Amino acid sequence: MDISVLFNVPHECPWKIYIPLYFYFTGLSAGSFILSSLSTVFGIKKYKPLAFPAALTSFVLLMLAPACLIFDLHQPLRFWHTLVPSYFNKTAALSYGTWLLTLYPIANMVYIWFIFIKDDRMMKIMGTITVPLAVSVHAYTGFAFALVRGRTWWHSALMPGYFLTSAILSGVALLVVVAFIMNRFSKKKFDENVFSDLYNMMIGIILMDLFWVLSFGLTLGLSNTDGLASIITAIHDPLYLWGEIVVGMLTPLFLLIFPVTRRNKVWVTVSAILVICGVFLMRYSLVFIGFEIPLS
Amino acid sequence: MEKKVKKWGMVIDQRKCVGCHTCTVACKSENNVPLGYWCSWVKGIQKGKYPDVKNFFLRRLCNHCDTPPCVEVCPVEATVRRADGVVTIYYGKCIGCGMCIAACPYDARFFNPIRHTADKCTFCTHRIDAGLLPACVTSCIGRALTFGDLNDRESEVSRLIADNATTVIKPELRTNPKVYYIAADKDIMGRIRISEEYPEAIEEYHKTVPSKPSDYWKK
Repeated sequence: MDISVLFNVPHECPWKIYIPLYFYFTGLSAGSFILSSLSTVFGIKKYKPLAFPAALTSFVLLMLAPACLIFDLHQPLRFWHTLVPSYFNKTAALSYGTWLLTLYPIANMVYIWFIFIKDDRMMKIMGTITVPLAVSVHAYTGFAFALVRGRTWWHSALMPGYFLTSAILSGVALLVVVAFIMNRFSKKKFDENVFSDLYNMMIGIILMDLFWVLSFGLTLGLSNTDGLASIITAIHDPLYLWGEIVVGMLTPLFLLIFPVTRRNKVWVTVSAILVICGVFLMRYSLVFIGFEIPLS
Repeated sequence: MEKKVKKWGMVIDQRKCVGCHTCTVACKSENNVPLGYWCSWVKGIQKGKYPDVKNFFLRRLCNHCDTPPCVEVCPVEATVRRADGVVTIYYGKCIGCGMCIAACPYDARFFNPIRHTADKCTFCTHRIDAGLLPACVTSCIGRALTFGDLNDRESEVSRLIADNATTVIKPELRTNPKVYYIAADKDIMGRIRISEEYPEAIEEYHKTVPSKPSDYWKK
């Protein structure tokens, strides 16, 4: 049957680049915070030198994240409405998110203070409080998408998990870069074992991310028409296929596994930077491919 | 006697719709919708090839869902479902985050470029609260639009729904729309282009999205 459209009204995409940037910054922040907590909360002593730089990067990135959100609002001066208790909407992920975004930086700051004054006991207590906050501040964004039932590309139970693993991935990658820079310019050198562990962590999380992508793609491809349409759009989108999958996951995976490149610090830095870019592209394609599927 | 709660709904009879777009114009002038944006519109498709060809029209507006996804996601409760079932926005409360626009499965919401908040069809609340009919219903030349109380068994909408085979858009999403269609075609109800040539279809779609030139009224 030949069908052509005479007239229809599609509406503009309501979001700008700030939204994927926001996801990206909270992801990086949550990822590096979890890495910082490895020694302070989970007691793995060899990561001790990473605790302070990781917590500091997570705090700095956390300052950028809410700024991105407020920039994206069409009424930026009304951002405080989200923190008025009587306006709280108990079914909205964003309502919980704004409170998490307020509490997490405060907890994070106190935690950094205790690392700075080297109070091990308080560090552990504050870390234990902040780790769930760090996880949920990023997981809520996954839920915000997963709970939109109108758009099949987002409406997936995998979404929060996918968000979290890629957040930790970007956090580890960022920390590899930070650790290299610190190794270069400070007198205290990191243990080679720490780097090796970070590489292995990256390999493991990239494999897990690839598993998410695979099961995400397969279930979408065999779901309803919207699902099929979105996976076709994703495959035709160079940012998704080449950017996120090939450059952001497969290339760093190869560089980290192949012994020659793994031993070379330049290649490892390149792969860490590729991972950082790939995670941003994941956020970007996740948000905007969702909007590319017309709803009417 | 206790006054019964009303539940406003609309029945759109596709057999009577001629695709004149009068409802679109009436809506735009009544609600002062900025140029390049629409609260309600008439979607039109052409099916078949000459000589067997026909135009089909679908009057689109906010479905005023009973379980509205947009209300579920609003972080400040700026968009609410009123007791009479109408989904409206408190414009002074809206922060313009766009989550409701992303969550609406019917693409019925948009950012109003003058108010800088989300905006949508409100069933002309200012008119129905004053006892009038929505502007589109009053203006419909073919009387294809019927508006009334779904809780009242005697009302015309209830009778139309009881006597005819009706359908709603995307019933599978558990939104329970209160805009019913009589004799609507399946090809026009959902998204039209689902084919192997999908990328081209998307390009074509993006050409119809309001673009920069539609801001000319600002200058």
